[in-house]
Amino acid sequence: MNFITQAQLTEWLDGIAHQQTLIAPYKMADILLYQPVQSSLMIAWDSIRPVMSAKEFFFPPSERLLLIEKGAAGIKLTETLPKGRQVIFGARPCDAHGIKVLDALFLDKPPVDLYYASRRANTTIIGLACKEMGSSCFCTSVGGAPDDASNMDVMLYPAEGGYAVEAVTEKGRSLIPDSLYTIDNRQRPAFNFISNIVNPQSINWPAHFDDEYWARTSERCLSCRACAYVCPTCRCFSVRDEFLPVEADGCNPGCAQYERIRGWDSCEGENYRRTAGGHRPRAEKSQRLRNRYFCKFYFYPEQYGLGNASACTGCGRCVDICPVNVDITEVITDLAR
Amino acid sequence: MSDTTNPMKPYLGKLTAVKDLATEIKLFRVELLNGGRDAFASFQPGQFAFVSAFGFGEAPFGIANTCQRGPCVDFAVNRLGSVTTGLHELGEGDIVGVRGPLGNCFPMDAFKGRNLVVLGGGIGGAPLRPVIQTVLDNRADYGRLTILWAARTPSLLVFTDEYDEWRAAPDTSLHLTVDQADEKWDHNVGLITQLLEKVAPASENAVTITCGPPIMIYYVTRMLEKMDFAAKNNYVTLEARMHCGLGKCGRCNLGTKLICVDGPVFNMAQVGELMETFL
Repeated sequence: MNFITQAQLTEWLDGIAHQQTLIAPYKMADILLYQPVQSSLMIAWDSIRPVMSAKEFFFPPSERLLLIEKGAAGIKLTETLPKGRQVIFGARPCDAHGIKVLDALFLDKPPVDLYYASRRANTTIIGLACKEMGSSCFCTSVGGAPDDASNMDVMLYPAEGGYAVEAVTEKGRSLIPDSLYTIDNRQRPAFNFISNIVNPQSINWPAHFDDEYWARTSERCLSCRACAYVCPTCRCFSVRDEFLPVEADGCNPGCAQYERIRGWDSCEGENYRRTAGGHRPRAEKSQRLRNRYFCKFYFYPEQYGLGNASACTGCGRCVDICPVNVDITEVITDLAR
Repeated sequence: MSDTTNPMKPYLGKLTAVKDLATEIKLFRVELLNGGRDAFASFQPGQFAFVSAFGFGEAPFGIANTCQRGPCVDFAVNRLGSVTTGLHELGEGDIVGVRGPLGNCFPMDAFKGRNLVVLGGGIGGAPLRPVIQTVLDNRADYGRLTILWAARTPSLLVFTDEYDEWRAAPDTSLHLTVDQADEKWDHNVGLITQLLEKVAPASENAVTITCGPPIMIYYVTRMLEKMDFAAKNNYVTLEARMHCGLGKCGRCNLGTKLICVDGPVFNMAQVGELMETFL
């Protein structure tokens, strides 16, 4: 087993932080988030998965797609593809699972989304196996595992005195200096806890489309969209133009600048699904909540070729964040009955 | 589109004509500049594109003419929200953005030799205009063309200055109806479903093509099935206020189908069971 001590790890991460953006679990006003950190001293080491997923570093809450300049010389459009290199340390298997689900949409189903693709190519992911299961975690019900290394570049498994290290991809291997770890004959520790939630893919979802259940379950939903924002795989977005103050980007007199922005949105919002005339096919909360669950377990897997896998990673973040206790594990359990 | 082009970046286009089509509805004729000319070299009836009013945003519109009547691309735009208001403020010579062509198209080759019933409601007539143009420009290839054209009021009927051309074409008939007539109106009054019952086109060797508001599409296609038109012969073109048109943004799903990339053209055998979720 390749083994790295805690001291070696912090040295390695500090070296990375000098060369590129290092993103790691960080406690901000008692809320655990993935954040850019300047030093390993800022990292929250003994933590379960952060409140937000790592999706925002590939698909940010708000990003500029184009700079639009309107002037006497006409209209000029400038693409703004992200360029900076970044390393995410401490990504959990549910985060990596989420990235795989988003890859299916942004990369695998043509056309490729250049903004996502660029961030994906410029990011190296150092995963960290989960030592314990959060109260709402159920990754093992949806094909995940607390020590699943798939979609990571490097995987670390907490062990006595440090971490077992596995280089998963070539990109990951090239990030690890050989001098940093020692090889010994220990086995990597096992992580085997199992969720008692049934596999949602065992449910015949189309058969539940017209259930009265959705009206009952959505009664307390506030359409606040928090579930979508914390979700590693919710990817609904809107695109809009916003005016930029002239001072912002050195514009000539008589020229106006705008930016075309893409930002997170959610199918839970009442105006999300509209037709041109203003008609709203999902005007009812029950229709919107149903859409979110159907998207995870039926629509998205069909639309983006996930096969028999679901688009839910079992991270349980939506369970924790919901202000009115709409609980995805409860929905799965109820419908499986 | 190849991987190296950015599908979210519009081509620039110059407005060569802007004219009133109906109350609050204008026709925008766009001449594509630079790379856009190649991209729009062979668009098909039924396809759509995003049009940008820079500074206001972009929205999807059905392409309202055939490539053969191009090379400019026509869009009919009803002033309703911020993007369409931004477009309505533009005039000839102004620059817009155009992203596309997107989506599938009407199988015009498969329609050859068959009778066509075209049903348009309001601005829903816009994506049907290239179907009519294709039939008129290749008249011998198609059977009888029956056009049922509806709007809430006479002032909301689109492409009125082309009705004479449609009526004059061989084996072609145009039937008009409005929900509310004015004193000058001398055609039918009532819903398009009532007009459909009255005109009663034969289902034999026929296909139908419908576009309009969701409620109209729903009732028209239900009535067509009662009139013995098989579901697979009833084509519709659907829409949603999409933000990408590329199968990504999650706004236009209809069950497991995405209107932007699996459509916007469907036949009712494909989406009949899903229509209630479109309402």
